[in-house]
Amino acid sequence: MTAVLEAQGVSVHFGGVRALAGVDLDVQESELIGLIGPNGAGKTTFVDAISGFVRCGGRVALDGFDLAGLSPHERALRGLSRTWQSTELFDDLTVRENLAVASRRPSLWQVAKEMLGDSAATSGEIEQALELLDLGWAQDVMPGDLSQGQRKLVGVARAIVTQPRLLCLDEPAAGLDTGESEELGRRLRALANKGQSMLLIDHDMGLVLSVCDRIFVLEFGKLIASGKPQEVRGDQRVVSAYLGGAAAEVSGP
Amino acid sequence: MQQVLLFVLLGLGSGALIAGIALAVVLTYRGSGIINLATGAIAMLSGYAYWSLKTGEYGGVHFATAPALLLTLVITLVIGVLIEFVAFRPLRTASPLAKLVSSLGVLLVAQASMLLAFGTDQKPQPTILPQGTVKVFGNTVPEDRFILAGIVIGIAIVLAVLYRWTRFGLATRAASENELNAQIAGLSANRLSLGNTLLASVVAGGVGVLAASVTQLDTVSLPLQVVPALAAALLARLTSFGIACAAGLGIGILNSLIDYFSTKSWFPTDQGVPLPGTKELIAFLIIVLAMFLRGAALPGRGELVEQRLPEVPRPHNLMTPAVAFSLVCAVALVVLPFDFRQALVNTLIGTVMALSLVVITGFVGQISVVQLSLAGASGFVVSHMAVDAGIGFPLAPICGSIMAITLGLLTAVSALRVRGVSLAVVTLGATVAIVNFGFINSTWGGGNTGSPVPEPHLFGLDLGPRSAFRGLDGSLPSPVFGWVALAVTVLLCLFVAAIRRGNLGERMLAVRSNERAAAAAAVNVRNVKLLAFGISSFIAGVAGSLYAYNFGSVSADRFDAVTALALIAFAYAGGITLVSGAVFAGLISTEGLIPHALDKWFGINGNWFLLFGGVILLFTLIQHPEGIAGAFYKRLHRSRRPGGRGERGSLFTAKTPAPAAER
Repeated sequence: MTAVLEAQGVSVHFGGVRALAGVDLDVQESELIGLIGPNGAGKTTFVDAISGFVRCGGRVALDGFDLAGLSPHERALRGLSRTWQSTELFDDLTVRENLAVASRRPSLWQVAKEMLGDSAATSGEIEQALELLDLGWAQDVMPGDLSQGQRKLVGVARAIVTQPRLLCLDEPAAGLDTGESEELGRRLRALANKGQSMLLIDHDMGLVLSVCDRIFVLEFGKLIASGKPQEVRGDQRVVSAYLGGAAAEVSGP
Repeated sequence: MQQVLLFVLLGLGSGALIAGIALAVVLTYRGSGIINLATGAIAMLSGYAYWSLKTGEYGGVHFATAPALLLTLVITLVIGVLIEFVAFRPLRTASPLAKLVSSLGVLLVAQASMLLAFGTDQKPQPTILPQGTVKVFGNTVPEDRFILAGIVIGIAIVLAVLYRWTRFGLATRAASENELNAQIAGLSANRLSLGNTLLASVVAGGVGVLAASVTQLDTVSLPLQVVPALAAALLARLTSFGIACAAGLGIGILNSLIDYFSTKSWFPTDQGVPLPGTKELIAFLIIVLAMFLRGAALPGRGELVEQRLPEVPRPHNLMTPAVAFSLVCAVALVVLPFDFRQALVNTLIGTVMALSLVVITGFVGQISVVQLSLAGASGFVVSHMAVDAGIGFPLAPICGSIMAITLGLLTAVSALRVRGVSLAVVTLGATVAIVNFGFINSTWGGGNTGSPVPEPHLFGLDLGPRSAFRGLDGSLPSPVFGWVALAVTVLLCLFVAAIRRGNLGERMLAVRSNERAAAAAAVNVRNVKLLAFGISSFIAGVAGSLYAYNFGSVSADRFDAVTALALIAFAYAGGITLVSGAVFAGLISTEGLIPHALDKWFGINGNWFLLFGGVILLFTLIQHPEGIAGAFYKRLHRSRRPGGRGERGSLFTAKTPAPAAER
């Protein structure tokens, strides 16, 4: 069985700086994968690379299909959906319209049909996504009128609404308080249990360790550990990456 | 060869003027982030100030050169202060488009007031610079060209030094890099902006006074020198004074060489005269080249407040207003007296023209100045197909629209790399090129007199303004053509509203909001832009055909650059994101209902209206940055909007917030 996402030797250079150096990562069917690492480790760059926003070396395949040379929107159409650390909502559209942009597939026929008839047809995916994140009340609100945490959720809803093969979430819990973060975790876990494959980047270690099936750890653009949460939790190099070498010695055996 | 050298040296005169204005453009952009389309107009104002002081046109006092220059400097500074406080400062946090439109307002006011004060004829500017000649390689060249070029190069050096080594320069550079951080560091953005605006005024004004004695002083050519100056400033990425100065001089020399070459037998001619518009075409090509060579993005400014275009509410019911509007207009076309009937038809056509801007600028955020030229191109196709090939309605307007779409898509190809205000500059260059190279040409344009357009006929019925049915007062124009225009207008309004309601409109707004996120949401940004340009050009093409039939002829002067800029200004003031805004824009457009009523009842016409329009425009911008229709809409809908800023509490408890009115 092919992996949903298979990334092999993904490398990114910014000028002389090597942001990612040959990262291998895979996401299997209905897995919730965590990607963690200290600031500047290259987590967001990895998502940018696989979603086509920065040029990268190596091979990225979605359901076994090589994504090389595809533009971001083509990758999105193939089922690779992502959110942004900085939210990046469409500020000129209501919450519902934000979701609608992503949910419908464009075709000239569709455009012609909307010109003639009723265009405000509701689609089931939008309702589901709104419901999943409890955003039904906000569907006619402009994003600018929401709090940062709520905007984050709209971003997640917009990524889910396309029913993607792989959902990449870049720090969805940043800006949420602990309780909200836990609730978001529960919902993501439920989504994964329903069969959604996900790649979750977050700073909130509690969230990542508690909900993910497997975790990959990046430091300075290199993969330093991967495995089940409990394995990663005890990994010497991970502890030292997060807390610094001295702390690792103290907590060492 | 000797002749070529002579013309190169003569070109230093107009080159110095272009370079000076380019320097002022760069100064204003670095100081306040505004691309000031009125920079040429400031040169014109100072030129007229000096002329009237020197000749005693006002007050009857003939000043000597030195006091006249000093007084002109004072007047220029006052103009700079006025512009800063009236047009720039109130819009510091507005969208780039609003800023551009406010500089347009300044241009309109300046031009109209000078027309009112001094008329259209050129003034012989008294000379300031020495009138001797020098011999260069056997050529006799006037000294003043060298002095003028020397002065401008000197100014460029002084500015470069000022920016490089003084605290003021450092502060301006810091503020234009990142306004927020500059403020944190204790720099006042307002004071920096004022300082740079004053500097820019003095540079533009000074060059205007000096160069007007070499080139000419009138109300059209000086303000429009801003187009080649923008080309030079863009080559300098709106940053480098040295490059802007060199590029400006270069463009002047190039223009002078074209003057020389156009006397040659090999130069392409159009019915015996050298091909018109080659200079403008070259300025446009330089702008395009600059965009491609130097990268699409102008140096961005880290602004304090996120700047967005006005919001684009989703229209709710379309049929009621559409039917009401149609009925009122259809009856009005019969009962109104002939002059108001004509004004109503003009309003309808102006509405269609503004609709084209609603799609491209309101929905997709692309500032395109070229739309009016597309309408013109369509009009000329209609005229030439009828005159040269005997093909009339409805094939000719269809071909006209295809022409408009083709030209529009060519523009769009450049828009794929260029966005925002830079696109406005590119399309302004395109407008000037199309008008001068295309429309003034007597073979494929209308020459200086215009090109006739016969009445449209369908199945033997005359649908044009000279149709047999003449309304209640039995005069021209016929209501029949008004009905045709009305039907077209209503259909296109519904079409544009339907775009907004449909997924295509959502995609357009997604592109306008955030191109990166749109791509991530599977929106093909390139295709959406191309489609939007296509639709908008089609609408412009339809408007052009209506123009042509309405006036029974097409001529270049209806589509010139200032009219194109005024169209954007009116469309923005009406409300550029709304269909109702397009209707407002139609009401205030040239020869529309409101200008006609003002003329008829209050005697405000022609240049007075332009002056009035410019002032109203600036006022509207400051009061309602989202335009008249947008302000109306907000008033109507504010109480209905659910939700509110800062809704907090737990995220995951479903809730229905109280309507804003009750809180």
